[in-house]
Amino acid sequence: MSAQEIIDRYAPLFMPKTVAVVGASTKGAALPNIFIRRIREFGFEGAIYPIHPVAAEIDGLPAYRTLADTPQPVDYAYIAVSAAQIPAMLAAAAGRVRFAQVISSGFGEVEAGKELQQQLAAAARAGGMRLLGPNCLGLYTPRGKVTFTEIAPREVGTVGIVSQSGGLGTDIVRRGMSRGLKFSGLVTVGNCADLGTNDMLEFYLADPQTRVIGLYIESAQDGRRLFEILRAAHARKPVVMLKGGRTRQGLAAAVSHTGSLAGDDRAWVALSRQTGCVLVDTLDEFVDALLAFQALAPRTQRPTQRVVLFGNGGGASVLATDYFARLGLDVTPFSQTIVDALAALGLPPGTSITNPVDCPVGTLQQEDGRVAEKILDVVYASAEPEALVMHLNLAAFVGRAKPEVLDNLMQAALRVQAHYPGKAHFVLVLRADDEPELLARRREFRARAVALGIPVYDELSNAGQALAALQAHERFVQSRSGA
Amino acid sequence: MNIRDIISKARSENRTALDEFAGKQLLASFGISVPKSAVIKGADEAAAAFAKLTPPLVLKIMSPDILHKSDAGGVKVNLKSAVETADAIRRMMNSPALRAARIDGFLLEEMAPGGQEVVVGAVRDPQFGPLVMVGLGGIFVEVLADVAFRICPITRLDAREMLADLKGAAVLKGARGRKPASQDAIVDVLLKIGGEEGLLLCHADDFREADINPLIVSESGAVAVDARFVLS
Repeated sequence: MSAQEIIDRYAPLFMPKTVAVVGASTKGAALPNIFIRRIREFGFEGAIYPIHPVAAEIDGLPAYRTLADTPQPVDYAYIAVSAAQIPAMLAAAAGRVRFAQVISSGFGEVEAGKELQQQLAAAARAGGMRLLGPNCLGLYTPRGKVTFTEIAPREVGTVGIVSQSGGLGTDIVRRGMSRGLKFSGLVTVGNCADLGTNDMLEFYLADPQTRVIGLYIESAQDGRRLFEILRAAHARKPVVMLKGGRTRQGLAAAVSHTGSLAGDDRAWVALSRQTGCVLVDTLDEFVDALLAFQALAPRTQRPTQRVVLFGNGGGASVLATDYFARLGLDVTPFSQTIVDALAALGLPPGTSITNPVDCPVGTLQQEDGRVAEKILDVVYASAEPEALVMHLNLAAFVGRAKPEVLDNLMQAALRVQAHYPGKAHFVLVLRADDEPELLARRREFRARAVALGIPVYDELSNAGQALAALQAHERFVQSRSGA
Repeated sequence: MNIRDIISKARSENRTALDEFAGKQLLASFGISVPKSAVIKGADEAAAAFAKLTPPLVLKIMSPDILHKSDAGGVKVNLKSAVETADAIRRMMNSPALRAARIDGFLLEEMAPGGQEVVVGAVRDPQFGPLVMVGLGGIFVEVLADVAFRICPITRLDAREMLADLKGAAVLKGARGRKPASQDAIVDVLLKIGGEEGLLLCHADDFREADINPLIVSESGAVAVDARFVLS
C-alpha cells in the first residue's frame, strides 16, 4: 500500500466529519456523555450522533436507534456500553461506519471474554468497519478536534503516539502537554482485536504531519510485522518505544543455552539495534526523548557526542559530567586555547572556565546576561560541541537576582544559536525544588522556552537521557547511510 | 542424503534433535566449515575410518539419549592411532554411564586447530520468529550471559554490531597476548545462519533452537566443532 493510500484510509479516523457515540445516557453522566461534552468543548465541528435504543435526544442532540440509522455515514464511532451487546450492534451497521473504537472492557484481557473478542472482530468485519480496541480509552486527534482526554493541546503538533494502555495514553497527553509536547495524534489501541499498534505506526510513518513517533507496547500483536515495518522505514522518522512487560518467557521450555538466554527483552533490544527505534524504560524518559526529537532536528552527519554544560551549580555539573559519560556523552575539558579565550573575558572569580562551565549567579546576571552571550560565543566558535546544555538552579535566582535575568539568559543563548545555526543542539534545564514560587517561575519560564522551540528538562540527568536518545537515533542513521 | 531427507528422517524416528553428524551436514550445506569426519558403528570400523582422516582425531558418541557428551564420558580427544581409537570406542561401549543409552554410532573427526571458542545460537521467538545469537565461549556465555541477539534476517553491519555489543569483544582482538580471532569469519558464519538467505530463514519452521558450540575461530577462519539443532 502506498503512503497516500494509507493516509487516505485513516483520514476519516484522524479528521472525522461525523462521530457516533454509543452508550450516552439521557441523564448525561456516563463516559460517552463526557466524551460528547469534551469534543464539543474541543471544537469539533462535524455532526455528533448519539445512539440510543429509545431516547429521542441526548445532551440536546437528536439520538438514533442504531449505527445504520444516522443521517450521514459515520466516520468514527465511540462505543462504551456493556461488552455483550456490542458485536450484534457492529454487525448491523450495514457498512455505514468507517472506524469504531470500543472502549468497553470484558473482552480478551480476561479469560471469559476471549471468545467475545473474536465475535467482536468478526462482527466488525461483517458490519464493514475497522475496529480499535476494545479495552481502551479513545482517540486524541487535534487536526480532527476530537479528544477523549480532559485536557489536551489544541494545536496540531508533530508527535504521533500509539498506546496500548488507555490510562498511560492519558498520562502521555497530560504530561506531554505540561512539557510542551504537541501531538499529531494519540490512539489508544487496547486489546487490538482488529487494528493495532502496527497499523497506527504505518499511518504515522506515512503521515506528513507526524515527524516523531512514540509507541507504548505491552505485547506485540505481530512482532514480525512490527520488525518489518520499522526495518523498511530506515528510521526516517525517530521512533521512541516504551515497552512494558520485558520479562523472560519460555525459560521452562529451554533445553539449550540459547533457549535459556533468550528472554523477551533480548528480542526488543535486538529490534531497537536493528531498526534504530529508541527503547526507553520509563514514562519520564519517553516524554523526555519525544521532547528532544520534537524540538531538535537530528544531525545524522555529526551525531551528538561532545556536550558543553553551562550554568550555575558546581556539584550538579560534576555529577552530570559523570552521568553523561555513562550515557556515552563526553563533557571533556576545553583545550588551553579555549580556556585562554574565556579568561580574556575577565570573568569574576568563582567562575570555572573549563567544561563544565560553572558560573555563579553573579556572573550570569552581569550586563543583563550579556556575559553569558560572550561565553557562549567563545564556546560555539571554538569548542564546537554537538550539544549545549544550559542549566539554571532557580533557587539561586529567585529573590536574589533581577527577575529579567532568566529571560536575558535565554535570549542570550538564542542569539548565539541564531549566530551559529545548526551548530549545536540547545537544551535548557530548569532545576527547582517544590517551593511554590520556584515552581511557578519554572512553569512560566518553561512555557516561554517551549514557545521558542527549546526543550526544557527538570534535571540534568533527564537532559542527558534525552540527548542519549538523540545520539542513538543519529548514530543509527549515520551507520546505515552508506548501505 | 539431502537436508530435507535428513530432517524428515529425524522426525520419522521421533527424534527431538538432529544428531551431530546431521547437524554438521546441514551447516556444511550452508557453507560453514565443519571438521572432516566419518561415522562408524563400532571398533571394527575404526581402522578403515582412521586411515582416511588426518590425526589427531576426536571420537564422539552419537546417542539421542545423551545431551552432554563430554560430561557423560562420550568424548575422547587427541587420538593418534587406529588402535587407540578402537580402544576408546570399546571403553565407551562398556562404561556404566553409556551402556544404558541407545547408541547410533560414533563420530570420528579431525581436530580443529586451536583458536577462540565462540558460540553461535538460534532460538525461535514466538513474536519475532528466528533470532540469531553470538557470544564468546566458556564463562562468557555460561556465567556472564555476555551474548548479543538479533532478529533474522541480519545484515553484515548487524553482524558486526553484534560482536561489538559483546562486553568481551576485546578478547577477539587478542587480549592477554593471545592471537586475534577473525571477526570476518564469525560475521560470515552469522550471515550464513541468520542472513537473508541463511539457514534459519530457509528452515524457519524446522527448528526451535540451534547451537554451534563451540565455533573455533582462528586468525584465518572458523570451524563448527559441535552443532545441535532442536526440531520444532
